[in-house]
Amino acid sequence: MEASLSISKIVRRASAAGILAGLVAVSGAHAAVPGITGGSVGAATFDLIATAGNTTQPDGATIYTWGYGCATAPSGFAPAAIAGATCPAGLMQLPGPTLIVNKGDLVTVKLHNSLPAAAGNTSILFPGFKVTATGGTPGVLAQEACNGNQTALANTPCFGVDNTVTYTFTADVEGTHSYFSGTQGDLQVEMGLYGALIVLPSTTTNSIACANAAVASARSYDRGSGAPADFRLASAAYDHASACYDREYLIQTSEMDQRIHEQAAAQASVACSATTGCMTVETEPYHPVYFLLNGRSMPDTVDPNYSPQYPNQPYNTNPHMHPGEMTLVRIIGQGRLQHPFHEHANHVRVLARDGQMLLNGAGKLSGPLLFTTTTSPGQTIDALFQYTGKNLNWDIFGHGAGIKVSGGDVDITDPATQCDANGYFTLGTAYQANNFYEWCGDHQKALESKPFGNVGTGGPVTLPDPNVLANGPWYSGSPYFGPDASARAGGPTPIPPFGTIANDPGSEAGYAFMWHSHNEREITTNNIFPGGLMTMMLVDPWVFLIDETK
Amino acid sequence: MSSVPSRLVRLLPALALLLLALDAQAQSFRVQCPAGTALHPANTGGDAAYDTITRPLDTSAATNPTGTLNINHKLNPLPSMANPHIKCQQLSGGDGFATMGDGTQTYLFAFGPLSGLSNIVNGQPGTTAAADFLKNNLDSANGPVGADGVLDAVKIGAPDGAAYAFNGAIGLVPDVQAVDNQDPTTGNNLATPGTELTGHVDPRLVMDVGVLNGNAPAPMIAIDEGDELFLTLTNVGMVMRPDLFEQHTVHFHGYPNASSFYDGVPDASVAINIGGSFTYYYLAPEAGTYMWHCHISPPEHLQMGMVGQLYVRPRQNGSGDVYTAAKNANDPASPDYLVTKCSSTDLLCSTQVPPSAPVSPIQGAKYAFNDGDGSTEYDVEYPVQLMGFDPNFHFVGMTFNPESFADNKDKYFLMNGRSYPDTINPEPMKTQSSDGVERHSQPLPTIINIPCLNQASGVCGDGRALLRISDLNVTEYHTLASLGVRMHVVGYNARLLRDVDGNNTDYYTNSIHIAGGESVDVILEAKGASPRQKFYLYAAELDHLSNDAENFGGMMTEVNICPSDVNPTTKACN
Repeated sequence: MEASLSISKIVRRASAAGILAGLVAVSGAHAAVPGITGGSVGAATFDLIATAGNTTQPDGATIYTWGYGCATAPSGFAPAAIAGATCPAGLMQLPGPTLIVNKGDLVTVKLHNSLPAAAGNTSILFPGFKVTATGGTPGVLAQEACNGNQTALANTPCFGVDNTVTYTFTADVEGTHSYFSGTQGDLQVEMGLYGALIVLPSTTTNSIACANAAVASARSYDRGSGAPADFRLASAAYDHASACYDREYLIQTSEMDQRIHEQAAAQASVACSATTGCMTVETEPYHPVYFLLNGRSMPDTVDPNYSPQYPNQPYNTNPHMHPGEMTLVRIIGQGRLQHPFHEHANHVRVLARDGQMLLNGAGKLSGPLLFTTTTSPGQTIDALFQYTGKNLNWDIFGHGAGIKVSGGDVDITDPATQCDANGYFTLGTAYQANNFYEWCGDHQKALESKPFGNVGTGGPVTLPDPNVLANGPWYSGSPYFGPDASARAGGPTPIPPFGTIANDPGSEAGYAFMWHSHNEREITTNNIFPGGLMTMMLVDPWVFLIDETK
Repeated sequence: MSSVPSRLVRLLPALALLLLALDAQAQSFRVQCPAGTALHPANTGGDAAYDTITRPLDTSAATNPTGTLNINHKLNPLPSMANPHIKCQQLSGGDGFATMGDGTQTYLFAFGPLSGLSNIVNGQPGTTAAADFLKNNLDSANGPVGADGVLDAVKIGAPDGAAYAFNGAIGLVPDVQAVDNQDPTTGNNLATPGTELTGHVDPRLVMDVGVLNGNAPAPMIAIDEGDELFLTLTNVGMVMRPDLFEQHTVHFHGYPNASSFYDGVPDASVAINIGGSFTYYYLAPEAGTYMWHCHISPPEHLQMGMVGQLYVRPRQNGSGDVYTAAKNANDPASPDYLVTKCSSTDLLCSTQVPPSAPVSPIQGAKYAFNDGDGSTEYDVEYPVQLMGFDPNFHFVGMTFNPESFADNKDKYFLMNGRSYPDTINPEPMKTQSSDGVERHSQPLPTIINIPCLNQASGVCGDGRALLRISDLNVTEYHTLASLGVRMHVVGYNARLLRDVDGNNTDYYTNSIHIAGGESVDVILEAKGASPRQKFYLYAAELDHLSNDAENFGGMMTEVNICPSDVNPTTKACN
């Protein structure tokens, strides 16, 4: 593609293909970790189906896909604060439903095989758990569910057999886990049979209390847009004092080789009575052209969860957070390639791999700090991320001598009583301030030598004439953080910011950062840049209500 | 200089585009490099006529009739007064050519040096102190001057060899038509124009040097923790691709708590048009091996070569006692407290104090990190950037055809922009550009010389080389293996390997698996080896040991155990 191809062109392209690429909606889309729950505490029951459907890509492609879905309506959805959650009976989704259970739960997953007859049997693996199975028919890696389109065929191994298999295990390992097909995984996982399992710490035996009172107060404080809801599945990822978090996001990476899907689609209606299926699909050489986050490519990744235009791809990847909030990033490598997932803005501290915390002999965190987390097939990583803007040597709120406070900001006049041991503005009533969690060390330090607007002066730099610059859709129009500072800076630069405003200077004015594969060829959608394994993470000012219901 | 006009004629199409861009404003190329800031005041020697901070000039003819006073009605500090902790660098964003291991001339989208040219051609980082950056290109005190009044050093094809001595900012001249000096009514200058360097540059000089001067990898940036870095990117356009109006940016890859404004992501910030300059500003973060690259259309601009090295040296270098220094940085009672300041409750803290003090105080000279225990001490450092080029993509990149990203397949596997055996060529490599001029395209060899210290019975007792390995390949993972000398992995992704209690989690290995966008700090130790032994560092994906059709070469270089010590500047064995 031309190097200058822009998101706006993608939008036009997608619109022409009849797809609502929906960049206009991005400023309202947020993420959380939505999923389905299994009923009563102590015993979680899921009724899943493996079936075929279609997924869509922002280049307009519709791709034949297999996936897990809900066979019947699930017992419930989590987090409770997300309205409009759906898991329509019989509809596949990519990735499969995120299964949310508590540690110690006896988990029962019943799988119905409604794949085309030519696909043969299927199954689910739950790596890391001691699974027992009832029903179904023996397979290599797992007990398999007979193909429902074969069970009526006489003289076949599955004749007269129920098309289900039931897996039972105790959820004894906390954290983030993957699940995926254990049958012909080379084909079936590529076709989309994978999903996430999240085991929350036990609701009854937690030994820790996550009591960051200041952040908790700030998170529930009504700044004029209503009291913020809590979108967490739990307060901690593990029963460990260093595993507490304020927000959480699930990131599943995968890829698709369109040719494999085309071959499978062409053979889907082949009559078949073999349990191993009747498809002859070349899965090598592997040549994926779609690179996915939670089953979607950029810019679809930043559209809402459960968005009606993606009935088979309900989950987005659109992290939002306030400064100082500890954000849990649950990363799963689905598919077969490794992806170097680069988190702009700060390092993550790795908490755990495959649900196993990385601890030293004294029980303290020993995982590395990473700015690129490699996702490996089947492997999960739980990591903590936080953004504060610390140590930039300029006040991101644009405070300066004589411009101390406005727009709900509070001046820091006595660091000894207002700033905590880590140097952040969190003590006393700081939680009510819109500059809560400001890095005290940079308070009132100016950026600009001689600004046009009402922000600190005497700083080190002079900003150039905006005519030599091009603005991006997530640029808030000034270097400063939050709508008040952006307005004081003289408002957004007077150039039409790209036609699309995804980070409204007047209400949001957050800091946007790209989270993406650093195998940069993967941030494309079938050779169109931008796209693929990419999303935008927004650090939003506290005055901006992060509404993850969308 | 006699052949300049004809060369310029060949470049005219691109220049025409630039002029169009420049029409929006008369002068869009600028640099910024103050001699003093609030954090790092200039040393004025107590002269009250000078400010310690560089401030904007007073634009009022009434209060500033001479055009020389700033808004405090003082003189700005002179370059000679500049604070040594203010570091500056200027880059061109454009294109160029490089030579691959099989001799193929390859087209690049690339960054080139527009300051620190002498350092760059000698394999050093291009970053300089403000005093070295602020050099008037018209002042004979800075070198021989030609008939046009311009330094001989500022010319097409610069830098022209290892003897090249100029490190100042290319194009930097006093603004003889500064608005500050004009009579608002007549437009005539009110007074003799000042000689002050206000960041004004002569665009002709910038274009003479900047066009087609791209390097592989991009000019190296190296700073000390706590430095203020003023990095000016000047987009000179891509002469070979006049169909493109490419913007460029700088992404400081891995910077903790980055500001989105200076993060270089065009979607979330600003991008620099052709004909414009933009100065990125950062306080140097915690020590570590980072990297930098353009963030415009990354699958294309990175593959085409817009990748470079960036590292931050730790504050504890040169400190009396590293343990005390680390402890003070995290101790609220210490005056150094604000330096790193992170208590044990900060899970993202990067510089935990070791659990106990070393038996005797450690006072080395050079460390990779603020370790507090001397565990990352080294004698000589080698930045090594891993990269790959897909010749098909680069060929298409020089034409006007659509590119395929999913089909990317690298055939050249590079260390610091070169493949073996070029990696062990000690000279800066040149490539002839399309205008017939040879330019230094790949200045950096990758010859790892480890000093052999404390020898006994012909065996080295010590001697450590720090490899600052960064990877910006955009298509696949690399495994870098060491034959003979084991690798001591002390840092990963610009962070000391250490748990939250301050215990080291370093390890020894003979290979590292690394992705594009990752960095690893590895120390190679001469201990146990003999002087003049030779080992190899190579890609364990053996198909990466090739130069396109030649099945020999690729990502490989030599590791030499020196007879004794290593020259810290030239990094040659003594």
